[in-house]
Amino acid sequence: MMDSALIPKGVKRCPMWQFLLGLGIVGAVLAWGVYAMLLCWFKGLNQTNMNDYYGFALWIWADLAIIALGGGAFFSGLLKYIVGKDELKHIINYAVLIGFICYSSALLILAIDIGQPLRGWFIFWHANVHSMLTEVAFCLSCYFSVLTIEYIPLILENRQLDKVPFFHNLSHNMHETMAVFAATGAFLSFFHQGSLGGVAGVLFGRPFAFREGLLIWPWTFFLFTWSAAAYGPCFTLLITWITEKVTRKKLVKDNVVELLAKISGWMIFTYTIAKICDTARWANITVPGLGQTLTDFYTGNALYGYWILFAEIVLCGLVPAIILISAPLRKNPTWRVIALLLGVIGVSLNRWVMVLQVMAVPVMPFDHWALYYPSWQEVATTILPLAYGIMLIMISYRYLPIFPQEAELNPIEEETSAAVEAKTESTPDLEPAEA
Amino acid sequence: MKHEQKHNPPMKYGMAIDLDKCTGCGACMVACMAENNVSFKKDESNKLDSITWLRVYKLTNDKPYPNTDICYLPRPCQHCEGHGGHSPCVSVCPATATDYSRETGIVSQIYTRCFGCRYCMAACPYHARYFNWWDPVWPDGMEKYLSPNVSPRMRGVVEKCSFCFHRYQLAKNKAYLDGERTVPEAAYQTACTQACPAGAIVFGDLNNPNHQVHQVVKPDPKHGGKSKNPRAFRLLERLGTNPKIYYLSSREWVRRAGDNYLAHEKTGQVSKPHH
Amino acid sequence: MKVDRRSFLSFVIGGAAGTALSPLPWKLTDDSSIWSQMWPWTPVPPDGEVVYEDSTCSLCPGGCGISVRKVDNRAVKIEGKKGHPVNDGGICILGLSGLQLLYGPTRIKSPMKRIGERGEGKWQNISWDEATAILTEKLTDIRDKGEAHTVAAIAGSDSGTVPALLQRFMTAYGSPNFIRTPSHRDTDELAVKTLFGAIGRTGFDVENADFILSFGSGIVDGWGSPVRMFRASSLWKEKNTTVVQVEPRLSNSAAKATQWVPVNPGTEADLALGIAAVMVSQNMVDTGAVSGFSGWKNELLANYPTEKVSPITGVNADVIVELAKGFAKANRPLALCGRGKGLVPGSLREAAAIYALNALAGNINQDGGMWAVSEADYIQWPDVATDKLASSGLRQPRFDGAGAGQYAKARYLLNRLAVGVNGDGPYPLQVLLVAGANPCHDLPDTQSLQAAFAQIPFIVSFSSFKDETAAMADLLLPDHVYLERYEDVPVGAGLAHQVIGLSKPVVSPQFNTRHLGETLITAAKAMGGSIADAFPWDDYETCLEKTLAEKWDVLMEEGVWVETDIEPVADTVRLAGKDVPSVQAEGDVNSFPLLLIPYDSIRLSSGYIGDAPFMIKTVADTILKGKDGFVEINPQTASAAGFSEGALATLTTPRGEARVRIHLFEGIKPGVIAMARGLGHTAYDGYLAGKGVNVNELIGPVEDPSSGHDAAWGIRAKLAKA
Repeated sequence: MMDSALIPKGVKRCPMWQFLLGLGIVGAVLAWGVYAMLLCWFKGLNQTNMNDYYGFALWIWADLAIIALGGGAFFSGLLKYIVGKDELKHIINYAVLIGFICYSSALLILAIDIGQPLRGWFIFWHANVHSMLTEVAFCLSCYFSVLTIEYIPLILENRQLDKVPFFHNLSHNMHETMAVFAATGAFLSFFHQGSLGGVAGVLFGRPFAFREGLLIWPWTFFLFTWSAAAYGPCFTLLITWITEKVTRKKLVKDNVVELLAKISGWMIFTYTIAKICDTARWANITVPGLGQTLTDFYTGNALYGYWILFAEIVLCGLVPAIILISAPLRKNPTWRVIALLLGVIGVSLNRWVMVLQVMAVPVMPFDHWALYYPSWQEVATTILPLAYGIMLIMISYRYLPIFPQEAELNPIEEETSAAVEAKTESTPDLEPAEA
Repeated sequence: MKHEQKHNPPMKYGMAIDLDKCTGCGACMVACMAENNVSFKKDESNKLDSITWLRVYKLTNDKPYPNTDICYLPRPCQHCEGHGGHSPCVSVCPATATDYSRETGIVSQIYTRCFGCRYCMAACPYHARYFNWWDPVWPDGMEKYLSPNVSPRMRGVVEKCSFCFHRYQLAKNKAYLDGERTVPEAAYQTACTQACPAGAIVFGDLNNPNHQVHQVVKPDPKHGGKSKNPRAFRLLERLGTNPKIYYLSSREWVRRAGDNYLAHEKTGQVSKPHH
Repeated sequence: MKVDRRSFLSFVIGGAAGTALSPLPWKLTDDSSIWSQMWPWTPVPPDGEVVYEDSTCSLCPGGCGISVRKVDNRAVKIEGKKGHPVNDGGICILGLSGLQLLYGPTRIKSPMKRIGERGEGKWQNISWDEATAILTEKLTDIRDKGEAHTVAAIAGSDSGTVPALLQRFMTAYGSPNFIRTPSHRDTDELAVKTLFGAIGRTGFDVENADFILSFGSGIVDGWGSPVRMFRASSLWKEKNTTVVQVEPRLSNSAAKATQWVPVNPGTEADLALGIAAVMVSQNMVDTGAVSGFSGWKNELLANYPTEKVSPITGVNADVIVELAKGFAKANRPLALCGRGKGLVPGSLREAAAIYALNALAGNINQDGGMWAVSEADYIQWPDVATDKLASSGLRQPRFDGAGAGQYAKARYLLNRLAVGVNGDGPYPLQVLLVAGANPCHDLPDTQSLQAAFAQIPFIVSFSSFKDETAAMADLLLPDHVYLERYEDVPVGAGLAHQVIGLSKPVVSPQFNTRHLGETLITAAKAMGGSIADAFPWDDYETCLEKTLAEKWDVLMEEGVWVETDIEPVADTVRLAGKDVPSVQAEGDVNSFPLLLIPYDSIRLSSGYIGDAPFMIKTVADTILKGKDGFVEINPQTASAAGFSEGALATLTTPRGEARVRIHLFEGIKPGVIAMARGLGHTAYDGYLAGKGVNVNELIGPVEDPSSGHDAAWGIRAKLAKA
């Protein structure tokens, strides 16, 4: 292979043409997203279906969702470096990579979402310390720097880069100090995940979103941090599982996966209890105190009904929690993946509700429900990070030792490599395995 | 007065709109658009994307014919004071592009500071904030009528009613030149107040007992500025937004339409403060 | 030089660090915020010296005083003039939008002649000299052939010097065909003539009345002088004046009223007579100012007993009795007439019945009552000395038939123009002049009218705007708009006194337009002879100043001239006019089960002036959504037909068909559907054209048997799913 010198030692990668073909296909999707992004930048946000009732819409949901899903990075970092769950070192690289993708995507989407991207830096320059969004911006950018710092040593471990003594030493030293960054990351994540929850929770003009809380932080602040820590690992594990299916290789040992799954299960369980308490308080004290009832929020429109509460709390809360807590179910790959999927859906649904439904519910008694569907430009720019993420994973997986256990789990028989290479046409690595 | 005051006491500009008088003619809306260089598009029938700083809502009592009744309700920015100036929008703006003035009680909007995140719009339950989804384009020649007092907004920023703040500035400058200590009531009136052919809008300083708006509203500082006038109500008063637009109506169903109430609650019921 | 990896990396890293530390990125960042504030396509309005100039608005007959804020030579805002006797600082939505008309792209910017097919929109700019020459040569040719009477002129008004100049031009030229656009004014003048036996109009002292009984008059929907009526409405609220609105639909006026009396459409006259009958039978009438009472009384009591009126009008008998008692017992009761804005003349029977109520309540020429007043007669020009050609032309019958035979009582019958041109007229029309009117949009049965226009060989439009009528013209001689010209504005519009406002040029003419008065004087002079002699003034301004005489100085100083101490034209009402058949809606009940009524909204300019972009912006999305117009329908009627909110439907009437959307509205009588006037333009620009349905295309004129005036209040209709 042309690039065999770059490929980590002891692992096998698909032929170059397959890699490039896959990259090309995903790249086309990416180009579509970039086109939509340029439309939004040059023609303005009239390219979207947002309006004065939907100032926040698909993008902000995508932002909140991918940041929650990227929460696997800070939480596994916390578990490994601070709590001392050392087994997680076998998955932490991937968690960091996924986190990096999620956070860079979130920043990109924010840059498209604002009406005056050239002035985006005003959020730092003219910062209003009372605004949850200011807190988000600061913590998000800082944490993104942390993720970058965590990702850099991984890049430097590339076979060729590692040969440069400076890089080798840099990488080594960075590894040494990673605990500091993990701690910083966890601290920052606590605040930005929380302040994203605060974004909705502080809206005292919107009874559907508004929550009382502790000091300046509404309950959603804590719920968001908690749910990101709980559901983030689900996403890390789900992506790992998908990667294994696509590459047709076992990449992470079961004990590592099961450990993280179990922790996630308990986190989801405790989160769901907290969510139930929050919902009960909100429904019985906050909302009636403002002259409204849940009926106002869940009836009288075509989409938002009580099913959401059931889906969020039971179907995507208690159900995955129980599956992941119960050892036999957790150890069964099918059940586990179902639970992970439900978890990912659950946290995404929660973020949807806290963004989109907030906009949809009328507040003035004579106002009406406002429903919305995204324009293709919004969809394309939301898929853009997905394509970019897949590409970054493809490249990173190919050239970097992301999975420390890969070589051990997939020993190569040296003598057949040339022959296999010629025949691999029939087994393209990049196509998903049959379901 | 025992001591000569060096600084004027803070003002609190507000409005009383008599819904019994309002005819829904829309003059206030257009007076506002003309005064404030509000842009317009070829199709403005999508009201979710139509910049109208002052929007007139049509309320109905939902009773079948012939007991139907309608009422128009003009809704400018409510210039919420919230608690201590923390109006819903001001507290969320990440770039301090909107602010609550302690001098006038006016919620400002700095278009050149705003970078268009629209968080303030999400925060405002009155939908008083509008985003410039499009570049403002005036048909050929029409830009001639644009007033230099209010800068046209650029695409991608949020705008809203400013209580014609430029009129305040002009009145304040004039008062200063005239050697007056305060801005006289008649010297500062919003464009909508001035235009209203039914005389339904009264505007002035809610803190000043000499101003008509104070006399009509009789705000009760002990109860968060709630009006002592039994005909008066504020929109969504229970949310704690503490708005400065008071509405007057002799019709109970109209007053009830101003806020959310549980079935058993009386109109005018207040909520416990949640802050 | 060999670049090794280390030096390359050092270069890159050093370069990046150096750039970051240099002022460049910071400067660029800072600049970006400045660029994003100053895109060249976002206008920056130039500053300058601010002055206010007062004038009079003539966009509607209301006659409000306005104060225009100017920055240097630009008019930037129109406000109501404080202290003005009509509007005292208030202003309506149309008046506020005036600058969009002044500076808007729908202005006709130069005289033009048609070079393409009619209505194709292909024009060539020409000079005023050429334009005048085309007009005068055409007119002279026709006149020389002895066919001067085949020229007609349509004008939006017949009072004030400019319409008077046009009338004078027609007289000197030799045509009897000056036609004023129809409005309730026609019927009002006829009712005054019939009941009072004198020439004049009614005026209403609404401010001092204490019981208002409005038969569909859009008190806050643009009736009379709109701002004055808004102010009166608020005054009534303050004084707790009882206001009763009789109307099939809960209009804004009905919503403001103390009581809304939904009535079967078209039966207002019956209700008025029913109320009169109760008043008479219960001896609650004042016959002091009434003549011919005894005979009228007997017929009234025989034909309009409550039990008969109630089923006709759909109003409960006890409501009728209560209304009669309330009206009769009030100190200063006042009944108003003229549906909506009063855009349709209406029937004499209805006006006579409602005015009779006023007479029987004893409020004629009283404070808070109905006055019969004359127009201010300041236009005292010597009679035109007509030459032979003119005299013979003037002896010809009018093209619209007004003033003779069955139409003897009518002065103008524009509603008969279409049938005239389409074959029924006494002679073919050769030239049509149109000033201050847009009949191709505003007249009922628009299609027939447009077809008629297509057959008229030569049409001249004096419109300032690219309206539907201008689109049908051959020659455009655009007038200045009101903010660019001097003009006297005599105000009728239901005022109980005489008011004359003065429009002054607030800004210099923006385009190559010319004052209509000037155009007429120039044309007359060019035609020479007796026509030129009839126009002895050097220019329009001289004409205006001389005509106004002593009022000129007052008007230049004050902007308005008011005569409150006026002698009524007569004191006694001769009761008459009720024994005429009532006007029925066109169409048969079986094919067309519903009744379509047009309604007026102050937010929709429904006269000669098209809605400005600002106004259209205020129109609710239940009246106009995208390109679709709505019909209002009672949910009960709608659900029987299977229509839900926003559904598309085909609305068919005997006159036309349109695609509409359904708007469910509880405030409309079941079986009745309503549609806003003023939409469905095809001309103007993208801000107005193609929006909604022109209800005039669905309704045809129905002649009032007494006069021939259009008295259509609606038409039978049906709705089908589209």
